[in-house]
Amino acid sequence: MAEERRFLSASGVPIALRRRQHSASCRELAVRGPRLQLRSLSAATSAVWLAAYGLFALCENSMVLSAAIFITLLGLIIYLHFVKIDQESLLVIGSLGIQVTSAYASGKESTTFIEMGQVKDVVINEAIHMQKVIYYLCILLQDPEDPQAVSEVVPLFQSSKPRLDCLIEVYKSCQEILEQRKTAPQSS
Amino acid sequence: ENSPAPLPERAIYGFALFLGSWFGFILYLIWAYVPETWLFSLGLTYWPQKYWAVALPVYLLVSVGIGYILLFGINMMSTAPLNSTHTITDNFARKQQQKKFQEEAIPALRDIPISEVNRMFFLPER
Repeated sequence: MAEERRFLSASGVPIALRRRQHSASCRELAVRGPRLQLRSLSAATSAVWLAAYGLFALCENSMVLSAAIFITLLGLIIYLHFVKIDQESLLVIGSLGIQVTSAYASGKESTTFIEMGQVKDVVINEAIHMQKVIYYLCILLQDPEDPQAVSEVVPLFQSSKPRLDCLIEVYKSCQEILEQRKTAPQSS
Repeated sequence: ENSPAPLPERAIYGFALFLGSWFGFILYLIWAYVPETWLFSLGLTYWPQKYWAVALPVYLLVSVGIGYILLFGINMMSTAPLNSTHTITDNFARKQQQKKFQEEAIPALRDIPISEVNRMFFLPER
């Protein structure tokens, strides 16, 4: 059972949230950002090549042109592989843990798994980020010594930065699964 | 007490500062503009180099400009990053003591944990 809804990110780009329920205690929430646009790619490439051509007109050294081509290609590969995140997903499996995956535009996927014993709660926090106050979803990890204290905060959806309406949907879905771990010991 | 009302002593301090600042300014102008030979002929030889008459104001203005950027940068550096626990709680909130709940009394002031606040805001009322 999958459904997809469109939202806006904190900077105004359209993002899509896809919710899939695999079973009663397992849910996957994926936020997909926009793909690399052809117009921004051509704008960046033309800017670099025009600058290189201007430099070549000044210093008459043809190495500048080949260096510009090389830099453009290398920069594009580095951007696609390390910077541009296409999809961030959250897989919540009640009683097992939470898995956070980031899929880059080059196909690389980076995954983190947090077991349920360490998870204290999933909350929407607001904080100051670069002259803006943003809402972001985060996982609170609990201290092994003191169950009431929060030892670490893991922010989620860092590159797509959804707005509050999208975050509330994700929060409600996560809380439905997390509540089961309070009632599960009594029922089993 | 410390009241901002005008007093005779304050009037005297103000006038002394006024005269002192005018004197300092006239002295600075003399040092910057009067040629060295005239000053030497008067017998006043122990002055700093005239280079400083231009350099010090320039230093001052450049540091004021850098100060704006520096303050902005220090502010950005002191802002807690998104993954720090300082965005959620602090030492005072961790050590606070729970007062017992009394019927029909206003509850004591305390720092509410973020999970409770979230449930109140974002989950529909049950």
